[in-house]
Amino acid sequence: MPPKPTDVLRGTLDLLVLKTLTLDAMHGWGISQRIQQFSRGVLDVNQGSLYPALQRLELKGWIDSEWRPSDNNRRARYYRLTAAGRRALSTETNDWRRYVEAVEWILETA
Amino acid sequence: MIIPGVVLRLRALFRREATEARLDEEMRYHLELETDKNLRLGMSRESARRQARLDFGGVESMKEDQRDARGTRPLEDAVADVRYALRVLRRNPVLTGAAMLTLALGVGANTAIFSVVNAVILRPLPFPHSERLVMLSEDNAEKGWRRAVAAPANYLDWRERVKAFEDVAAYTGGGGATLSGAGDARQLRVRNVTGNYFSVLGVDAELGRTLRDAETWQRGPGTAVISHRLYQDALGGNPAALGRTIMLDGAPTEVVGVMPASFSFAADSVDVWQPMGWDADSRSQVFFRRAHWLRVVARLKPGVTPAAADAEFQTIVGQLQREFPLTNRVMGADLVPLQEFLIGDLRVPLLILQGAVGLLLLIACANVGNLLLAQAVGREREVSLRLALGARRERVVRQALTESLVLSLLGGAAGFALGWWGTRALAALQPTGMLPVKSVPMDLRVLACVTLITTLTGLLFGIAPAMWSASRVPAEVLKEGGKGGSVGSRSRRWTDLLVVGEIALALVLTVGAGLLVRSFYRLQRVDPGLEPHGVMAIGIRLPAGYDRTARQVQFFTALRERVSALPGVESAAEGLVAPFGGSSFTSDFHVAGRAPDDYGTEVMRDYVTPGYFSTLRVPLRAGRFFTDADREGAEPVVIINEGMALQHFRGGNPVGQRITFDKFPDSTSVWRTIVGVVGDVRQRGLALTPQVAAFEAFGQQSNSYMTLLVRARGDAGEVLPALRRVLAELDPSIAFAEATSLDALVARSIARQRYIMTLLLVFAATGLLLSVMGVYGVMAQMARRRSREMGIRIALGAGVAQVQWLVVRHGLRLVAGGLGLGLLGSFAATQSIRSLLYEVAPADPLTFVTVSILLALTALLASWLPAARASLTNPAATLRDE
Repeated sequence: MPPKPTDVLRGTLDLLVLKTLTLDAMHGWGISQRIQQFSRGVLDVNQGSLYPALQRLELKGWIDSEWRPSDNNRRARYYRLTAAGRRALSTETNDWRRYVEAVEWILETA
Repeated sequence: MIIPGVVLRLRALFRREATEARLDEEMRYHLELETDKNLRLGMSRESARRQARLDFGGVESMKEDQRDARGTRPLEDAVADVRYALRVLRRNPVLTGAAMLTLALGVGANTAIFSVVNAVILRPLPFPHSERLVMLSEDNAEKGWRRAVAAPANYLDWRERVKAFEDVAAYTGGGGATLSGAGDARQLRVRNVTGNYFSVLGVDAELGRTLRDAETWQRGPGTAVISHRLYQDALGGNPAALGRTIMLDGAPTEVVGVMPASFSFAADSVDVWQPMGWDADSRSQVFFRRAHWLRVVARLKPGVTPAAADAEFQTIVGQLQREFPLTNRVMGADLVPLQEFLIGDLRVPLLILQGAVGLLLLIACANVGNLLLAQAVGREREVSLRLALGARRERVVRQALTESLVLSLLGGAAGFALGWWGTRALAALQPTGMLPVKSVPMDLRVLACVTLITTLTGLLFGIAPAMWSASRVPAEVLKEGGKGGSVGSRSRRWTDLLVVGEIALALVLTVGAGLLVRSFYRLQRVDPGLEPHGVMAIGIRLPAGYDRTARQVQFFTALRERVSALPGVESAAEGLVAPFGGSSFTSDFHVAGRAPDDYGTEVMRDYVTPGYFSTLRVPLRAGRFFTDADREGAEPVVIINEGMALQHFRGGNPVGQRITFDKFPDSTSVWRTIVGVVGDVRQRGLALTPQVAAFEAFGQQSNSYMTLLVRARGDAGEVLPALRRVLAELDPSIAFAEATSLDALVARSIARQRYIMTLLLVFAATGLLLSVMGVYGVMAQMARRRSREMGIRIALGAGVAQVQWLVVRHGLRLVAGGLGLGLLGSFAATQSIRSLLYEVAPADPLTFVTVSILLALTALLASWLPAARASLTNPAATLRDE
């Protein structure tokens, strides 16, 4: 039995979504698939929390969205990173790195 | 990024449907793609779809989360709560109706009283910079004057010397004049004012001009400013009336201006303002400083505080005391802001009424709180279920509070409507001139206050049910199960507490009202000193032609004789003013043969005709009444009242002694021989002790204004047409003023006490009714709860009374608690109404005991009734019911 994918930690989802959107505008399902792919199947996005996260980010003005025809010619809502989102991503990434370093340091030394 | 966020939030709120639709579409699309993926992984279509849904998680809970993310959650919840509350309220029309009615009474009473308090105490006076207007009055410790009218010479000195005053105006109290030459002769209310009266108040004429400063000192052809009402009524509202000459008391007077309809000083209803028209010579004469008849209003310079002005004012008053020792030796003076002066002794009753309606509102709150608590108890399973299903406690509390707020707003709206009507009623039913304001408007402040009261009310009565709901442990409640299962003792404690509080408040209110009722009863039984029933009083003002004593005496003698001869008239007489129609004038006096410093002050004087005392049935104590022989040329005579005899002739017989109305008699003093002593009359009103009084014979002292007093045999109103005819035959230019019965004048002298008592009584009765309803409601609940137990006990052979006692005993405990608390509160609270009580102590034992017994009996009846009903139900039926 393969190891069960870990749920994305609350709080890191925003960061992952922002990172995913740096490459291209994407719809919700695409974002969830991309995160799973990038993490080589380790992380599983809880889809129930993805959409609230998207709405939250839009509310902060870090992403915006529009309806666009998708590959299979259906209407899908595409999310795109804004300039503010780009700035936020860099601060959030730094924060995350510091956090990880701190946790690692504790795990190794304590 | 705040703006787009707000926009999104607002859009989300207003276009909730659209937002949810967008969410649905996105979700559907997501599920489709996920299903396709699963199909590609080789699942069957059915399980592919199922797996996609499973992966997605709860659709509805996601929507909730999504809504949270939108940030409109609290608002949406509130809207939902209000909708839910309205549904619940509609479902229980009886309860909702009862609660709304209770609240409407409480809020309505508060609205009405607060409107009056607002109009009288809080609203600024309708003059520009009215905070700079102050009232100046004289105080005299020797004569017992406080905030009394001032002497003109003092007024003039104040005006000239005090630098803090920008300007100072003076006016006289109510005077009258007869308007002739414009249709029927009619009586007008005239106020004599200094020429700067209107400029000090800061008001301008609507047409023409106001008066000029110089006119204060102009004798001769008069000028007048008239009211908008008189302009409309007598001059047809024609602007050509300006400059027209009207006849006032037979003297030609030019109309120079018309005041706007809105102008009113302290709710007066003056028709004509005339300049003082003083003689320039008067300034230096003693009477100008000795006679006091002016009200004085000053405008402070900008930036000067009343306290600073008063300090300077007192210095000047001190100077005047030293400069004019004869008249001003003990003359003090008083400066108060105009509004404070106008509020006067109305502040205490108004605040007491406001306190009373506050108590009433608390009782209403307790009642509604109990109703809601009972309802919450009935819904405990619903609440428990919600808690068990994961609803947060704060959510349940908020729901309960929303419900009470919605109820309070509905009740408050009804109360506001009731209050609007009540305010009108309060203003319309007030004793004439009690409120020193022209109107009692419902302004923004009233609206704000009512809204605040209503909201606080909602929170207040909502807290008990809300706290109770939140304190429930769901598992326990659901376990309790069963129909009407035992109700938590916690809710009963709340209920009991509310009832005890309610009874206590009702007792305080009722004791207060009881004291006023007793006080009023005492007042009504005070002996006025005469027999008012059947006597009419008619004021008669002689026009300018009657300026000589002989003509005045001749006219009034003829009038009296002809009226006495009318059928239906028992007797007629004349005096200066009607008894209870106010005081005439007072002066100092000296008894012949006493030391120079042994003088009397403040004797009330009156000129009366023969037949005066017998017409009024004032008893003779010694000596004789006046006769027709007491005329000009005969020995000057005077009759004094018993009070004067006791106070100034202690132990001796006053009859035969001589007095003069001068403090320090000299060669010009007129000495009058006392020929009689009569009983005391409460001239100034039933509530006030009789004044020391002296009466001169009208044949020797005349006046152009007298009051005709007619005692009729039957209905006094029936002789009026004949009286009118007699007057018209004597002189058609004399206006027939309104005839007033002495009964009405006596009643008017205690009208304010009656008004306040009635209001407090109404509030207390409402409070009592509400609290008794509260007791009844609680006891009915208890009886219902215990009806099964009662049934069993009766089935087992217990007596009905014994079983009823189970419930009544509890009621008794509540009543006892409430009474104990209420008595403590009453002892404290009734001290505040001391000043409103007439010969009743604030802790009057009779009132306290009577009211307590009344309240206890009513409350016990209210607890026995449900018990009796419950005990009479068929035990078998009750048991089968289970």
